[in-house]
Amino acid sequence: MGTTAAVLTAEGLRYRYGETVALDGVDLGVDPGECVALLGPNGAGKSTLVTLAVGLLTPQQGTVRILGSDPRRAATRRRLGVAQQTLGFPNTLTVHELVTGAAVRGGLRAAAAGPVLDELGLADLRRRRVAKLSGGQKQRVQLAMALVTEPALLVLDEPTVGLDTVARRHFWQILARRREQGTAVLVTTHLIEESAAVADRVVVLDRGRVLADAPPDELVTRLPDRTVTVRTGLDRSELEQLPGVLSVTPEHELSRIQTRSPEDLLRVLLDRDPHLSDLRVQDAGLEEAVLALTDRADEGTDATGTDGGYGRDGSQRAAEVTG
Amino acid sequence: MNAGLTVRVFGVELRDELRAIVREPTSLFFSILMPVGFFVLFNLLYGHDTTQGISAGTAMVATFGTYGVITVAALQPGIGVAQDRDLGWLRMKRVSAVPIGISLGAKAMAALLYGVGVLLLMGVAAAAFGTLHASVWAMLRVALVLLLGTVPFTLISVAVGLRFRTNATIALLNALLFPLAVLSGLWIPIQFLPHVMRQIAKFLPTYHLAQLGLSQLGHGPVLLHVLALLLTTLGAAGVAVMAYRHARI
Repeated sequence: MGTTAAVLTAEGLRYRYGETVALDGVDLGVDPGECVALLGPNGAGKSTLVTLAVGLLTPQQGTVRILGSDPRRAATRRRLGVAQQTLGFPNTLTVHELVTGAAVRGGLRAAAAGPVLDELGLADLRRRRVAKLSGGQKQRVQLAMALVTEPALLVLDEPTVGLDTVARRHFWQILARRREQGTAVLVTTHLIEESAAVADRVVVLDRGRVLADAPPDELVTRLPDRTVTVRTGLDRSELEQLPGVLSVTPEHELSRIQTRSPEDLLRVLLDRDPHLSDLRVQDAGLEEAVLALTDRADEGTDATGTDGGYGRDGSQRAAEVTG
Repeated sequence: MNAGLTVRVFGVELRDELRAIVREPTSLFFSILMPVGFFVLFNLLYGHDTTQGISAGTAMVATFGTYGVITVAALQPGIGVAQDRDLGWLRMKRVSAVPIGISLGAKAMAALLYGVGVLLLMGVAAAAFGTLHASVWAMLRVALVLLLGTVPFTLISVAVGLRFRTNATIALLNALLFPLAVLSGLWIPIQFLPHVMRQIAKFLPTYHLAQLGLSQLGHGPVLLHVLALLLTTLGAAGVAVMAYRHARI
């Protein structure tokens, strides 16, 4: 992180909105071809970090560099491709006009749009006005606009929301090809398990601080929690009373039990419910790891009494983190 | 951004703006059909009369022409900016390193081109009705004056678009435009308006623009109107700069 070869380097970034601290000393690096997922609950500072990275804000402290240059410089920003979830298109323009426009704005010839339209399966829709596209097709148009300039860094905000499974797989396949060619990807998402599948590294932010920066597998192994899934006659409240149980989530006719000592739990469970079936024990997923990290940060802040009303119970945070 | 790229990006921006106007029938109605329709109606009714020493049909090219060009200049850029902000499109352009001046300049230029279209249609209609009694040179001067005179209205329009959402922008700009047109004698010759309205008109930039246009067809004072418009432009530029500094893009 922070090497001269890095596409994105952020060091000691601090940013406040009035009294609210959005970023509090964030370091981040993204290397060529690397995919980094930025995770965290709402208000964690993800948007501010991304806005600084694309040069739309000036750091109050610290530095951010794209290929060693200030992202506020126009020439630097032309090395970026950005797709944001909230972007709407002018309904009067066609797919082809939007993508050629992006190419020209990025300093290329309009003809550069052709191969990207083909790559994203938009060639047949080129003459269609964007108002007549489905949500998934609009996502692809936005990705085409971001990719057409052959960016060094792709910044994606919830890129696969609204895409079906096939389109989602196609999307990540396209990105994988680009990454092989050296394009770095910084993705902010609430789809944690998806980011576990595609990201080289996961950066967990909360209250403007980096809680973790590691490969997804490493994050998961840091968490001692296991998930025990069973079909049982015991109800939720009974399960919650069992030793070592952290949480219980009903899932159809099954119960998902979070625990740090599955062996102890299983002994008691088998003893209490002789009809227990469909037993499965799994390592915690990335989602649980991220929740554990952010919850732990909550507890730490609550203990110091400096939370300022931000603290929530686990279920609410789970809802926020998973979107 | 080098000059070549600036020109090409401006071309793309302008092209998109013109497409937006052409492909959006409601904007065409308000920006072209309504002013030209009013002009045709009044020209047919009163075009052969005489006002301020020239034919009413000719004078209407200046007065209704003022209404036509400021309608386009005051509505299109501001509404466009507000829509782009609401969509996140202006932010996308900023990320794409498109200078805000190019985006706004393209909107202003698109409005100007439509203003040219409005004036051309009015000129052709007046000539067809036989009410146009002015040299081509005089008409070109009128067009030039009116088009240059749209600058402060474009600036105000952009300022409103930078501060308000689309629907509020449309409402505000129309609320501004309508009384300006009535009080400045753009629809009814100023001399037919009540005394109090004539006094108010002297403080309105639309009045000075229309009078400057009329002065190209006859012999009227020029300096006072030019100064009034310059002052308005300076004020409008200040408002636009402030609006940009406080805008959430």
